[in-house]
Amino acid sequence: MACGVAQAKTVFAYRFDYVTSLLGLLFQLYVLRAVWSSIYRGHDSVSGVNLSTMVTYATLASFQNWLLNPWQFSLIPDRVREGRVAVDLVRPVGFVTQVVVAQVGRTAATLPFGLLLVPALAILGARTPVSATAGFEYALSLVPAYAIITLLSVVVGMVSFWTIELNGMIVIYWMISQFLSGTMVPLWFMPSLLRDFAKILPFQAFSYTPNAIYVGQIGAADAIGAIAIQLVWVALLYVLCVLIWRRAIRRVVIQGG
Amino acid sequence: MGSEPIICVESLVKEFRRTKQQSGRFSAIRTLLTRERTVSRAVDGISFGIPEGELVGYLGPNGAGKSTTIKILTGILMPTSGTVHVAGIVPWRERKRNAAQIGVVFGQRTQLWWDLPLSDSLELVGRLYEIPPPRFRFNLKLFTELLELGPFLSTPVRQLSLGQRMRGDLAAAMLHSPRILFLDEPTIGLDVVAKERIRSFIYELNKEQGTTVILTTHDLDDVERLCQRVLLITDGSVLFEGDVESLKNMHTRERDLIIRLPPGSESIELANFASARIVDESGDLTRVRFNPQSLPITELVSFLLSKYAIVDFSVKEPELEEVVRNIYAARSL
Ligand SMILES: Nc1ncnc2c1ncn2[C@@H]1O[C@H](COP(=O)(O)OP(=O)(O)OP(=O)(O)O)[C@@H](O)[C@H]1O
Ligand SMILES: [Mg+2]
Repeated sequence: MACGVAQAKTVFAYRFDYVTSLLGLLFQLYVLRAVWSSIYRGHDSVSGVNLSTMVTYATLASFQNWLLNPWQFSLIPDRVREGRVAVDLVRPVGFVTQVVVAQVGRTAATLPFGLLLVPALAILGARTPVSATAGFEYALSLVPAYAIITLLSVVVGMVSFWTIELNGMIVIYWMISQFLSGTMVPLWFMPSLLRDFAKILPFQAFSYTPNAIYVGQIGAADAIGAIAIQLVWVALLYVLCVLIWRRAIRRVVIQGG
Repeated sequence: MGSEPIICVESLVKEFRRTKQQSGRFSAIRTLLTRERTVSRAVDGISFGIPEGELVGYLGPNGAGKSTTIKILTGILMPTSGTVHVAGIVPWRERKRNAAQIGVVFGQRTQLWWDLPLSDSLELVGRLYEIPPPRFRFNLKLFTELLELGPFLSTPVRQLSLGQRMRGDLAAAMLHSPRILFLDEPTIGLDVVAKERIRSFIYELNKEQGTTVILTTHDLDDVERLCQRVLLITDGSVLFEGDVESLKNMHTRERDLIIRLPPGSESIELANFASARIVDESGDLTRVRFNPQSLPITELVSFLLSKYAIVDFSVKEPELEEVVRNIYAARSL
Protein backbone atom coordinates (compact mmCIF):
# COMPACT_ATOMS: atom_id res chain seq x y z
CA MET A 1 0.00 0.00 0.00
CA ALA A 2 2.67 2.45 1.05
CA CYS A 3 4.54 1.95 -2.23
CA GLY A 4 1.42 2.86 -4.13
CA VAL A 5 1.01 6.02 -2.15
CA ALA A 6 4.66 6.85 -2.69
CA GLN A 7 4.40 6.36 -6.44
CA ALA A 8 1.20 8.38 -6.54
CA LYS A 9 2.89 11.20 -4.71
CA THR A 10 5.76 10.98 -7.14
CA VAL A 11 3.31 11.52 -9.97
CA PHE A 12 2.14 14.71 -8.30
CA ALA A 13 5.71 15.81 -7.81
CA TYR A 14 5.99 15.66 -11.59
CA ARG A 15 2.52 16.96 -12.40
CA PHE A 16 4.02 19.45 -14.83
CA ASP A 17 5.36 16.57 -16.93
CA TYR A 18 1.95 14.95 -16.86
CA VAL A 19 0.22 18.07 -18.02
CA THR A 20 2.76 18.34 -20.82
CA SER A 21 2.21 14.77 -21.89
CA LEU A 22 -1.51 15.43 -21.72
CA LEU A 23 -1.08 18.17 -24.30
CA GLY A 24 0.98 15.75 -26.37
CA LEU A 25 -1.85 13.25 -26.20
CA LEU A 26 -4.40 15.86 -27.28
CA PHE A 27 -2.27 16.68 -30.28
CA GLN A 28 -1.92 13.00 -31.10
CA LEU A 29 -5.68 12.49 -30.91
CA TYR A 30 -6.23 15.46 -33.20
CA VAL A 31 -3.78 14.07 -35.75
CA LEU A 32 -5.37 10.61 -35.53
CA ARG A 33 -8.75 12.04 -36.34
CA ALA A 34 -7.33 13.95 -39.29
CA VAL A 35 -5.60 10.82 -40.62
CA TRP A 36 -8.67 8.60 -40.35
CA SER A 37 -10.86 11.31 -41.88
CA SER A 38 -8.60 11.57 -44.87
CA ILE A 39 -8.46 7.78 -45.27
CA TYR A 40 -12.23 7.72 -45.21
CA ARG A 41 -12.67 10.61 -47.66
CA GLY A 42 -15.21 9.55 -50.24
CA HIS A 43 -16.18 6.35 -48.41
CA ASP A 44 -19.06 5.93 -46.00
CA SER A 45 -17.60 2.82 -44.52
CA VAL A 46 -14.49 0.71 -44.91
CA SER A 47 -14.80 -3.05 -44.20
CA GLY A 48 -18.21 -2.29 -42.78
CA VAL A 49 -16.92 0.24 -40.26
CA ASN A 50 -17.95 3.86 -40.55
CA LEU A 51 -15.81 6.88 -39.79
CA SER A 52 -17.42 7.82 -36.51
CA THR A 53 -16.90 4.29 -35.14
CA MET A 54 -13.31 4.36 -36.31
CA VAL A 55 -12.59 7.74 -34.72
CA THR A 56 -14.21 6.62 -31.48
CA TYR A 57 -12.06 3.50 -31.44
CA ALA A 58 -8.83 5.33 -32.24
CA THR A 59 -9.45 8.10 -29.74
CA LEU A 60 -10.38 5.76 -26.96
CA ALA A 61 -7.54 3.33 -27.63
CA SER A 62 -4.92 6.08 -27.55
CA PHE A 63 -6.42 7.64 -24.47
CA GLN A 64 -6.60 4.35 -22.64
CA ASN A 65 -3.07 3.60 -23.67
CA TRP A 66 -1.84 6.91 -22.32
CA LEU A 67 -3.64 6.34 -19.06
CA LEU A 68 -2.95 2.69 -18.37
CA ASN A 69 0.20 1.94 -20.26
CA PRO A 70 2.54 4.85 -19.74
CA TRP A 71 5.82 5.27 -21.51
CA GLN A 72 7.84 4.81 -18.33
CA PHE A 73 6.56 1.34 -18.77
CA SER A 74 7.94 -0.80 -16.02
CA LEU A 75 9.45 0.44 -12.82
CA ILE A 76 11.83 -2.51 -12.68
CA PRO A 77 14.65 -1.85 -15.20
CA ASP A 78 15.64 1.53 -13.78
CA ARG A 79 15.64 0.18 -10.27
CA VAL A 80 17.82 -2.75 -11.27
CA ARG A 81 20.28 -0.64 -13.24
CA GLU A 82 20.73 1.89 -10.48
CA GLY A 83 20.97 -0.82 -7.84
CA ARG A 84 17.89 0.49 -6.08
CA VAL A 85 16.48 -3.06 -6.00
CA ALA A 86 18.82 -3.50 -3.07
CA VAL A 87 16.58 -1.19 -1.10
CA ASP A 88 13.39 -2.83 -2.38
CA LEU A 89 14.66 -6.24 -1.42
CA VAL A 90 15.45 -5.38 2.18
CA ARG A 91 11.85 -4.43 2.76
CA PRO A 92 9.49 -6.80 4.51
CA VAL A 93 7.18 -6.81 1.46
CA GLY A 94 7.64 -8.88 -1.70
CA PHE A 95 9.39 -7.15 -4.55
CA VAL A 96 6.76 -7.96 -7.18
CA THR A 97 4.02 -6.79 -4.83
CA GLN A 98 5.86 -3.52 -4.36
CA VAL A 99 6.23 -3.01 -8.10
CA VAL A 100 2.61 -3.85 -8.86
CA VAL A 101 1.26 -1.67 -6.08
CA ALA A 102 3.50 1.18 -7.19
CA GLN A 103 2.22 0.88 -10.76
CA VAL A 104 -1.37 0.88 -9.60
CA GLY A 105 -0.61 3.92 -7.47
CA ARG A 106 0.85 5.69 -10.46
CA THR A 107 -2.23 4.95 -12.54
CA ALA A 108 -4.54 6.08 -9.77
CA ALA A 109 -2.67 9.37 -9.56
CA THR A 110 -2.78 9.82 -13.33
CA LEU A 111 -6.53 9.29 -13.34
CA PRO A 112 -7.52 12.86 -12.37
CA PHE A 113 -5.41 14.20 -15.24
CA GLY A 114 -7.22 11.77 -17.51
CA LEU A 115 -10.64 12.84 -16.33
CA LEU A 116 -9.80 16.40 -17.32
CA LEU A 117 -9.57 15.10 -20.82
CA VAL A 118 -12.93 13.38 -21.11
CA PRO A 119 -14.76 16.45 -22.49
CA ALA A 120 -11.99 16.87 -25.03
CA LEU A 121 -12.44 13.27 -26.15
CA ALA A 122 -16.10 13.98 -26.88
CA ILE A 123 -15.24 17.12 -28.82
CA LEU A 124 -12.66 15.16 -30.83
CA GLY A 125 -15.42 12.83 -31.97
CA ALA A 126 -15.57 9.94 -29.50
CA ARG A 127 -19.14 8.65 -29.27
CA THR A 128 -20.88 6.95 -26.39
CA PRO A 129 -20.80 3.12 -26.35
CA VAL A 130 -23.06 1.42 -28.90
CA SER A 131 -25.31 0.13 -26.16
CA ALA A 132 -25.63 0.12 -22.41
CA THR A 133 -24.58 -3.54 -22.39
CA ALA A 134 -21.52 -2.72 -24.45
CA GLY A 135 -20.68 0.09 -22.05
CA PHE A 136 -20.95 -2.25 -19.12
CA GLU A 137 -18.92 -4.98 -20.77
CA TYR A 138 -16.32 -2.40 -21.78
CA ALA A 139 -15.92 -1.28 -18.19
CA LEU A 140 -15.72 -4.90 -17.11
CA SER A 141 -13.06 -5.79 -19.67
CA LEU A 142 -10.88 -2.88 -18.60
CA VAL A 143 -10.09 -4.69 -15.36
CA PRO A 144 -8.38 -7.72 -16.91
CA ALA A 145 -6.93 -5.37 -19.54
CA TYR A 146 -5.15 -3.43 -16.83
CA ALA A 147 -4.03 -6.63 -15.13
CA ILE A 148 -2.54 -7.83 -18.43
CA ILE A 149 -0.71 -4.55 -18.99
CA THR A 150 0.73 -4.64 -15.51
CA LEU A 151 1.74 -8.30 -15.63
CA LEU A 152 3.36 -7.83 -19.02
CA SER A 153 5.33 -4.88 -17.74
CA VAL A 154 6.54 -6.91 -14.77
CA VAL A 155 7.48 -9.90 -16.91
CA VAL A 156 9.35 -7.78 -19.44
CA GLY A 157 10.87 -5.63 -16.72
CA MET A 158 12.26 -8.69 -14.97
CA VAL A 159 14.41 -9.45 -17.99
CA SER A 160 16.62 -6.72 -16.60
CA PHE A 161 17.76 -9.16 -13.93
CA TRP A 162 19.49 -11.05 -16.73
CA THR A 163 20.67 -8.17 -18.83
CA ILE A 164 21.16 -4.78 -17.35
CA GLU A 165 20.88 -2.71 -20.49
CA LEU A 166 17.31 -3.22 -21.46
CA ASN A 167 16.33 0.15 -22.87
CA GLY A 168 16.82 -0.70 -26.53
CA MET A 169 14.84 -3.90 -26.16
CA ILE A 170 12.06 -2.11 -24.33
CA VAL A 171 11.67 0.36 -27.16
CA ILE A 172 11.39 -2.46 -29.66
CA TYR A 173 9.02 -4.38 -27.42
CA TRP A 174 6.96 -1.28 -26.90
CA MET A 175 6.51 -0.61 -30.61
CA ILE A 176 5.68 -4.22 -31.44
CA SER A 177 3.20 -4.52 -28.58
CA GLN A 178 1.58 -1.21 -29.49
CA PHE A 179 1.04 -2.40 -32.99
CA LEU A 180 -0.11 -5.93 -32.17
CA SER A 181 -2.41 -4.68 -29.44
CA GLY A 182 -4.45 -2.87 -32.07
CA THR A 183 -3.86 0.51 -30.51
CA MET A 184 -2.62 2.07 -33.74
CA VAL A 185 -4.62 0.07 -36.26
CA PRO A 186 -7.60 -2.01 -35.15
CA LEU A 187 -7.36 -5.73 -35.81
CA TRP A 188 -10.19 -5.64 -38.32
CA PHE A 189 -8.06 -3.60 -40.70
CA MET A 190 -5.08 -5.92 -40.48
CA PRO A 191 -4.29 -8.42 -43.24
CA SER A 192 -5.74 -11.75 -42.17
CA LEU A 193 -2.37 -13.39 -41.56
CA LEU A 194 -1.26 -10.58 -39.29
CA ARG A 195 -4.61 -10.55 -37.58
CA ASP A 196 -4.40 -14.25 -36.80
CA PHE A 197 -0.92 -13.69 -35.44
CA ALA A 198 -2.08 -10.80 -33.26
CA LYS A 199 -4.94 -12.90 -31.96
CA ILE A 200 -2.74 -15.59 -30.46
CA LEU A 201 -0.74 -12.98 -28.54
CA PRO A 202 -1.76 -11.31 -25.29
CA PHE A 203 -1.39 -7.75 -26.55
CA GLN A 204 -4.75 -7.47 -28.28
CA ALA A 205 -6.43 -8.46 -25.01
CA PHE A 206 -5.52 -5.19 -23.34
CA SER A 207 -6.34 -2.72 -26.09
CA TYR A 208 -8.33 -4.20 -28.95
CA THR A 209 -10.71 -6.22 -26.80
CA PRO A 210 -12.13 -3.45 -24.60
CA ASN A 211 -12.27 -0.86 -27.37
CA ALA A 212 -13.81 -3.18 -29.93
CA ILE A 213 -16.46 -4.08 -27.36
CA TYR A 214 -17.12 -0.38 -26.80
CA VAL A 215 -17.72 0.38 -30.48
CA GLY A 216 -19.65 -2.83 -31.07
CA GLN A 217 -17.12 -4.57 -33.30
CA ILE A 218 -17.17 -7.34 -30.74
CA GLY A 219 -20.89 -7.92 -30.21
CA ALA A 220 -22.49 -8.04 -26.78
CA ALA A 221 -22.68 -11.84 -26.88
CA ASP A 222 -19.11 -12.38 -28.12
CA ALA A 223 -17.85 -9.96 -25.52
CA ILE A 224 -18.29 -12.53 -22.77
CA GLY A 225 -15.99 -14.91 -24.63
CA ALA A 226 -13.48 -12.12 -25.24
CA ILE A 227 -13.42 -11.28 -21.55
CA ALA A 228 -12.96 -14.96 -20.72
CA ILE A 229 -9.92 -14.99 -23.02
CA GLN A 230 -8.61 -11.94 -21.22
CA LEU A 231 -8.93 -13.79 -17.95
CA VAL A 232 -7.03 -16.73 -19.36
CA TRP A 233 -4.24 -14.35 -20.28
CA VAL A 234 -4.24 -12.88 -16.81
CA ALA A 235 -3.85 -16.37 -15.35
CA LEU A 236 -1.12 -17.40 -17.81
CA LEU A 237 0.84 -14.21 -17.35
CA TYR A 238 0.54 -14.49 -13.61
CA VAL A 239 2.01 -17.98 -13.65
CA LEU A 240 4.76 -16.81 -16.00
CA CYS A 241 5.46 -13.92 -13.70
CA VAL A 242 5.84 -16.18 -10.67
CA LEU A 243 8.08 -18.59 -12.57
CA ILE A 244 10.33 -15.85 -13.87
CA TRP A 245 10.54 -14.21 -10.47
CA ARG A 246 11.63 -17.47 -8.85
CA ARG A 247 14.50 -17.67 -11.27
CA ALA A 248 15.23 -13.95 -11.18
CA ILE A 249 15.65 -13.82 -7.43
CA ARG A 250 18.43 -16.37 -7.73
CA ARG A 251 20.03 -14.26 -10.41
CA VAL A 252 19.81 -11.02 -8.56
CA VAL A 253 23.05 -9.15 -8.83
CA ILE A 254 22.95 -5.89 -7.02
CA GLN A 255 24.87 -3.23 -8.85
CA GLY A 256 27.23 -0.99 -6.96
CA GLY A 257 28.94 -1.42 -3.64
CA MET B 1 30.23 -14.96 25.87
CA GLY B 2 28.59 -18.34 26.27
CA SER B 3 25.40 -17.55 24.35
CA GLU B 4 24.89 -18.26 20.66
CA PRO B 5 26.13 -15.47 18.43
CA ILE B 6 23.32 -13.51 16.81
CA ILE B 7 25.08 -13.60 13.46
CA CYS B 8 26.81 -16.79 12.33
CA VAL B 9 28.68 -16.98 9.07
CA GLU B 10 30.43 -20.13 8.03
CA SER B 11 32.62 -20.79 4.98
CA LEU B 12 30.79 -18.18 3.01
CA VAL B 13 31.60 -18.03 -0.69
CA LYS B 14 30.19 -15.75 -3.34
CA GLU B 15 31.23 -16.02 -6.93
CA PHE B 16 30.20 -13.56 -9.57
CA ARG B 17 29.75 -14.93 -13.03
CA ARG B 18 30.07 -12.12 -15.41
CA THR B 19 28.85 -12.58 -18.93
CA LYS B 20 31.32 -11.06 -21.26
CA GLN B 21 29.87 -7.93 -22.76
CA GLN B 22 29.67 -8.36 -26.51
CA SER B 23 30.38 -5.38 -28.65
CA GLY B 24 29.28 -4.34 -32.07
CA ARG B 25 25.94 -4.84 -33.72
CA PHE B 26 23.05 -6.27 -31.67
CA SER B 27 25.43 -6.30 -28.70
CA ALA B 28 22.61 -6.34 -26.18
CA ILE B 29 20.99 -9.43 -27.63
CA ARG B 30 24.30 -11.20 -28.22
CA THR B 31 25.32 -10.47 -24.64
CA LEU B 32 22.08 -12.04 -23.52
CA LEU B 33 22.67 -15.18 -25.55
CA THR B 34 26.37 -15.64 -25.10
CA ARG B 35 27.79 -18.42 -22.94
CA GLU B 36 31.13 -16.77 -22.35
CA ARG B 37 31.57 -16.23 -18.65
CA THR B 38 34.26 -15.02 -16.35
CA VAL B 39 34.12 -16.06 -12.71
CA SER B 40 35.46 -14.02 -9.83
CA ARG B 41 35.32 -14.80 -6.13
CA ALA B 42 34.24 -11.75 -4.18
CA VAL B 43 33.91 -13.68 -0.92
CA ASP B 44 36.20 -16.65 -0.50
CA GLY B 45 35.43 -18.74 2.57
CA ILE B 46 34.64 -16.23 5.29
CA SER B 47 33.59 -17.40 8.77
CA PHE B 48 32.77 -15.35 11.82
CA GLY B 49 30.30 -15.01 14.66
CA ILE B 50 28.96 -11.85 16.25
CA PRO B 51 27.45 -11.88 19.73
CA GLU B 52 24.31 -9.89 20.34
CA GLY B 53 24.84 -6.28 21.33
CA GLU B 54 28.28 -5.97 19.80
CA LEU B 55 29.42 -3.15 17.55
CA VAL B 56 31.76 -4.64 14.98
CA GLY B 57 33.86 -2.91 12.36
CA TYR B 58 34.01 -4.78 9.08
CA LEU B 59 37.11 -3.50 7.36
CA GLY B 60 39.07 -4.16 4.24
CA PRO B 61 40.47 -2.42 1.18
CA ASN B 62 38.36 -1.60 -1.87
CA GLY B 63 37.00 -4.71 -3.49
CA ALA B 64 37.68 -6.89 -0.45
CA GLY B 65 34.13 -8.20 -0.43
CA LYS B 66 32.61 -6.18 2.38
CA SER B 67 29.53 -4.94 0.56
CA THR B 68 29.02 -8.38 -0.93
CA THR B 69 28.98 -9.91 2.56
CA ILE B 70 26.54 -7.27 3.79
CA LYS B 71 24.27 -7.96 0.83
CA ILE B 72 24.25 -11.65 1.68
CA LEU B 73 23.58 -10.99 5.35
CA THR B 74 20.67 -8.74 4.46
CA GLY B 75 19.24 -11.41 2.18
CA ILE B 76 19.40 -9.57 -1.12
CA LEU B 77 22.14 -11.72 -2.56
CA MET B 78 22.40 -15.49 -2.57
CA PRO B 79 25.79 -16.93 -1.72
CA THR B 80 27.42 -19.54 -3.90
CA SER B 81 28.01 -21.72 -0.83
CA GLY B 82 28.32 -21.56 2.92
CA THR B 83 25.84 -21.02 5.72
CA VAL B 84 24.55 -17.84 7.29
CA HIS B 85 22.20 -17.33 10.21
CA VAL B 86 21.00 -13.91 11.25
CA ALA B 87 19.10 -14.26 14.52
CA GLY B 88 18.31 -17.81 13.48
CA ILE B 89 17.08 -16.90 10.01
CA VAL B 90 18.72 -17.80 6.71
CA PRO B 91 18.46 -14.34 5.16
CA TRP B 92 17.95 -15.17 1.48
CA ARG B 93 15.44 -17.93 2.23
CA GLU B 94 13.23 -15.83 4.46
CA ARG B 95 13.99 -12.42 3.12
CA LYS B 96 10.85 -10.75 4.41
CA ARG B 97 11.15 -12.15 7.92
CA ASN B 98 14.79 -11.20 7.99
CA ALA B 99 13.92 -7.70 6.76
CA ALA B 100 11.65 -7.16 9.72
CA GLN B 101 14.45 -7.75 12.21
CA ILE B 102 17.28 -5.86 10.55
CA GLY B 103 17.94 -2.26 9.59
CA VAL B 104 20.19 -1.41 6.67
CA VAL B 105 21.92 1.71 5.44
CA PHE B 106 23.78 1.55 2.18
CA GLY B 107 25.76 4.76 2.28
CA GLN B 108 25.93 4.90 -1.50
CA ARG B 109 22.20 4.81 -2.07
CA THR B 110 19.12 5.86 -0.25
CA GLN B 111 16.04 3.97 0.82
CA LEU B 112 14.09 7.22 0.92
CA TRP B 113 11.79 8.30 -1.86
CA TRP B 114 13.69 10.78 -3.92
CA ASP B 115 10.78 13.04 -4.77
CA LEU B 116 9.00 13.09 -1.44
CA PRO B 117 9.68 15.15 1.67
CA LEU B 118 11.71 13.32 4.29
CA SER B 119 8.76 13.16 6.68
CA ASP B 120 6.60 11.45 4.01
CA SER B 121 9.34 8.93 3.35
CA LEU B 122 9.64 8.11 7.01
CA GLU B 123 5.91 7.73 7.29
CA LEU B 124 5.84 5.36 4.32
CA VAL B 125 8.61 3.31 5.88
CA GLY B 126 6.46 3.17 8.99
CA ARG B 127 3.61 1.72 6.97
CA LEU B 128 5.79 -0.71 5.01
CA TYR B 129 7.13 -2.17 8.23
CA GLU B 130 3.73 -2.00 9.89
CA ILE B 131 5.20 -0.19 12.86
CA PRO B 132 2.58 0.34 15.59
CA PRO B 133 1.74 4.07 15.67
CA PRO B 134 2.86 4.69 19.27
CA ARG B 135 6.26 3.14 18.62
CA PHE B 136 6.51 5.02 15.33
CA ARG B 137 5.83 8.35 17.01
CA PHE B 138 8.23 7.57 19.82
CA ASN B 139 11.07 6.61 17.50
CA LEU B 140 10.43 9.49 15.12
CA LYS B 141 10.59 11.96 17.97
CA LEU B 142 13.71 10.36 19.41
CA PHE B 143 15.56 10.23 16.09
CA THR B 144 14.49 13.73 15.09
CA GLU B 145 16.13 14.88 18.28
CA LEU B 146 19.27 12.74 18.15
CA LEU B 147 19.93 13.30 14.46
CA GLU B 148 18.58 16.86 14.37
CA LEU B 149 16.26 16.14 11.48
CA GLY B 150 13.85 18.93 12.37
CA PRO B 151 15.05 21.63 9.98
CA PHE B 152 14.69 19.49 6.85
CA LEU B 153 11.84 17.11 7.61
CA SER B 154 9.65 18.76 4.99
CA THR B 155 12.33 19.04 2.30
CA PRO B 156 12.16 16.65 -0.68
CA VAL B 157 14.92 14.09 -0.35
CA ARG B 158 16.53 15.03 -3.65
CA GLN B 159 17.19 18.51 -2.26
CA LEU B 160 18.94 17.27 0.87
CA SER B 161 22.68 17.47 1.29
CA LEU B 162 24.52 14.17 1.55
CA GLY B 163 24.90 14.50 5.30
CA GLN B 164 21.23 15.33 5.80
CA ARG B 165 20.18 12.45 3.58
CA MET B 166 22.39 10.03 5.45
CA ARG B 167 20.83 11.08 8.75
CA GLY B 168 17.40 10.58 7.20
CA ASP B 169 18.45 7.15 6.00
CA LEU B 170 19.70 6.16 9.43
CA ALA B 171 16.41 7.21 10.97
CA ALA B 172 14.51 5.23 8.32
CA ALA B 173 16.61 2.15 8.97
CA MET B 174 15.97 2.24 12.71
CA LEU B 175 12.28 3.24 12.78
CA HIS B 176 11.09 -0.32 13.27
CA SER B 177 13.56 -0.87 16.15
CA PRO B 178 15.47 -3.74 14.53
CA ARG B 179 17.79 -5.86 16.65
CA ILE B 180 20.55 -5.71 14.10
CA LEU B 181 21.80 -2.79 12.08
CA PHE B 182 23.98 -3.10 8.98
CA LEU B 183 25.80 0.02 7.95
CA ASP B 184 27.72 0.00 4.68
CA GLU B 185 29.85 3.13 4.66
CA PRO B 186 27.46 5.42 6.52
CA THR B 187 30.01 8.22 6.85
CA ILE B 188 31.20 8.22 3.25
CA GLY B 189 31.70 11.73 1.95
CA LEU B 190 30.58 13.49 5.12
CA ASP B 191 32.26 16.39 6.89
CA VAL B 192 33.66 16.07 10.40
CA VAL B 193 30.58 17.44 12.12
CA ALA B 194 28.17 15.22 10.24
CA LYS B 195 30.38 12.19 10.87
CA GLU B 196 30.45 12.97 14.54
CA ARG B 197 26.69 13.25 14.71
CA ILE B 198 26.24 9.91 13.00
CA ARG B 199 28.84 8.27 15.19
CA SER B 200 27.22 9.41 18.38
CA PHE B 201 23.86 8.20 17.09
CA ILE B 202 25.25 4.76 16.37
CA TYR B 203 26.99 4.75 19.72
CA GLU B 204 23.76 5.64 21.53
CA LEU B 205 21.77 2.97 19.73
CA ASN B 206 24.27 0.30 20.55
CA LYS B 207 24.60 1.39 24.14
CA GLU B 208 21.04 2.29 25.03
CA GLN B 209 19.03 -0.17 22.96
CA GLY B 210 21.62 -2.92 22.67
CA THR B 211 21.38 -2.95 18.89
CA THR B 212 23.95 -5.20 17.26
CA VAL B 213 25.79 -3.15 14.66
CA ILE B 214 27.99 -4.18 11.76
CA LEU B 215 29.80 -1.21 10.37
CA THR B 216 31.69 -1.06 7.12
CA THR B 217 33.87 1.96 6.68
CA HIS B 218 37.11 3.30 5.31
CA ASP B 219 37.25 5.91 8.02
CA LEU B 220 39.33 4.46 10.81
CA ASP B 221 38.27 7.20 13.17
CA ASP B 222 34.82 5.61 12.99
CA VAL B 223 36.40 2.37 14.07
CA GLU B 224 38.48 3.81 16.90
CA ARG B 225 35.52 5.74 18.20
CA LEU B 226 32.93 3.00 17.93
CA CYS B 227 34.07 -0.53 17.45
CA GLN B 228 34.70 -3.03 20.19
CA ARG B 229 35.95 -5.53 17.68
CA VAL B 230 37.08 -5.51 14.09
CA LEU B 231 37.06 -8.01 11.30
CA LEU B 232 39.60 -7.26 8.65
CA ILE B 233 39.18 -8.94 5.30
CA THR B 234 41.14 -8.80 2.09
CA ASP B 235 40.48 -10.61 -1.17
CA GLY B 236 37.44 -12.25 0.32
CA SER B 237 39.13 -13.88 3.32
CA VAL B 238 39.40 -12.91 6.98
CA LEU B 239 42.84 -11.59 7.79
CA PHE B 240 42.28 -10.50 11.35
CA GLU B 241 39.57 -10.78 13.96
CA GLY B 242 39.83 -9.18 17.39
CA ASP B 243 39.81 -5.86 19.19
CA VAL B 244 41.40 -2.71 17.87
CA GLU B 245 44.27 -2.84 20.37
CA SER B 246 45.40 -6.30 19.41
CA LEU B 247 45.15 -5.42 15.73
CA LYS B 248 47.59 -2.64 16.35
CA ASN B 249 49.83 -4.83 18.47
CA MET B 250 49.84 -7.68 16.07
CA HIS B 251 50.95 -5.70 13.12
CA THR B 252 53.12 -3.06 14.68
CA ARG B 253 54.77 -4.31 17.78
CA GLU B 254 57.05 -1.33 17.88
CA ARG B 255 56.39 1.93 19.64
CA ASP B 256 58.03 5.29 19.19
CA LEU B 257 59.47 7.18 22.10
CA ILE B 258 59.83 10.85 21.37
CA ILE B 259 62.43 12.62 23.44
CA ARG B 260 63.03 16.34 23.78
CA LEU B 261 66.59 17.33 24.71
CA PRO B 262 67.80 20.76 25.77
CA PRO B 263 69.10 22.79 22.80
CA GLY B 264 72.69 22.11 21.87
CA SER B 265 73.05 18.83 23.74
CA GLU B 266 74.91 15.87 22.26
CA SER B 267 72.86 13.27 20.41
CA ILE B 268 71.66 10.05 22.00
CA GLU B 269 73.60 6.80 21.78
CA LEU B 270 71.68 3.54 22.08
CA ALA B 271 74.55 1.20 21.37
CA ASN B 272 73.72 -1.42 24.00
CA PHE B 273 70.02 -1.88 23.12
CA ALA B 274 69.51 -4.33 20.32
CA SER B 275 65.80 -3.73 19.85
CA ALA B 276 65.84 0.06 19.91
CA ARG B 277 67.06 2.45 17.24
CA ILE B 278 66.87 6.09 16.37
CA VAL B 279 64.63 6.66 13.42
CA ASP B 280 64.55 10.43 13.31
CA GLU B 281 66.49 13.37 14.68
CA SER B 282 65.25 16.85 13.98
CA GLY B 283 66.23 19.87 16.08
CA ASP B 284 65.88 18.93 19.72
CA LEU B 285 63.46 16.03 19.05
CA THR B 286 64.69 12.47 18.80
CA ARG B 287 62.47 9.61 17.86
CA VAL B 288 63.46 6.20 19.20
CA ARG B 289 61.69 3.13 17.90
CA PHE B 290 61.71 0.14 20.19
CA ASN B 291 59.92 -3.12 20.77
CA PRO B 292 58.20 -3.06 24.16
CA GLN B 293 58.10 -6.85 24.31
CA SER B 294 61.85 -7.31 24.36
CA LEU B 295 62.69 -3.98 25.91
CA PRO B 296 60.28 -2.79 28.61
CA ILE B 297 59.65 0.90 28.32
CA THR B 298 60.64 1.50 31.95
CA GLU B 299 64.09 0.08 31.29
CA LEU B 300 64.58 2.25 28.22
CA VAL B 301 63.36 5.38 29.91
CA SER B 302 65.35 4.94 33.08
CA PHE B 303 68.47 4.34 31.03
CA LEU B 304 67.89 7.52 29.05
CA LEU B 305 67.05 9.58 32.12
CA SER B 306 70.21 8.49 33.86
CA LYS B 307 72.42 9.48 30.94
CA TYR B 308 70.80 12.51 29.38
CA ALA B 309 69.19 15.73 30.52
CA ILE B 310 65.78 15.03 29.08
CA VAL B 311 63.29 17.90 29.04
CA ASP B 312 60.24 15.94 28.01
CA PHE B 313 59.25 12.64 26.45
CA SER B 314 56.15 10.92 25.12
CA VAL B 315 55.24 7.52 23.75
CA LYS B 316 53.42 7.47 20.47
CA GLU B 317 50.87 4.72 20.02
CA PRO B 318 50.66 3.40 16.49
CA GLU B 319 47.82 4.88 14.51
CA LEU B 320 45.23 2.45 13.25
CA GLU B 321 45.42 4.29 9.97
CA GLU B 322 49.08 3.44 9.63
CA VAL B 323 48.63 -0.15 10.76
CA VAL B 324 45.93 -0.77 8.24
CA ARG B 325 47.88 0.96 5.52
CA ASN B 326 50.78 -1.38 6.22
CA ILE B 327 48.56 -4.43 6.12
CA TYR B 328 46.93 -3.41 2.87
CA ALA B 329 50.28 -2.58 1.32
CA ALA B 330 51.77 -5.89 2.41
CA ARG B 331 48.88 -7.77 0.82
CA SER B 332 49.12 -6.07 -2.52
CA LEU B 333 52.78 -7.08 -2.98
N1 LIG C 1 27.56 -7.19 -9.43
C1 LIG C 1 28.81 -7.63 -9.53
N2 LIG C 1 29.21 -8.34 -10.60
C2 LIG C 1 30.46 -8.78 -10.68
N3 LIG C 1 31.42 -8.60 -9.76
C3 LIG C 1 31.10 -7.90 -8.67
C4 LIG C 1 29.77 -7.37 -8.49
N4 LIG C 1 29.72 -6.73 -7.30
C5 LIG C 1 30.97 -6.84 -6.78
N5 LIG C 1 31.79 -7.53 -7.60
C6 LIG C 1 33.21 -7.83 -7.33
O1 LIG C 1 33.34 -8.41 -6.06
C7 LIG C 1 34.44 -7.91 -5.38
C8 LIG C 1 34.03 -7.40 -4.01
O2 LIG C 1 33.17 -6.29 -4.14
P1 LIG C 1 32.55 -5.53 -2.90
O3 LIG C 1 31.60 -4.53 -3.44
O4 LIG C 1 32.03 -6.53 -1.94
O5 LIG C 1 33.82 -4.81 -2.29
P2 LIG C 1 33.91 -3.86 -1.01
O6 LIG C 1 34.74 -4.59 -0.03
O7 LIG C 1 32.57 -3.42 -0.60
O8 LIG C 1 34.75 -2.67 -1.60
P3 LIG C 1 34.61 -1.10 -1.36
O9 LIG C 1 35.41 -0.80 -0.16
O10 LIG C 1 35.26 -0.54 -2.57
O11 LIG C 1 33.17 -0.78 -1.24
C9 LIG C 1 35.06 -6.85 -6.26
O12 LIG C 1 36.21 -7.38 -6.86
C10 LIG C 1 34.00 -6.54 -7.27
O13 LIG C 1 34.59 -6.25 -8.51
MG1 LIG D 1 31.52 -1.56 -0.58
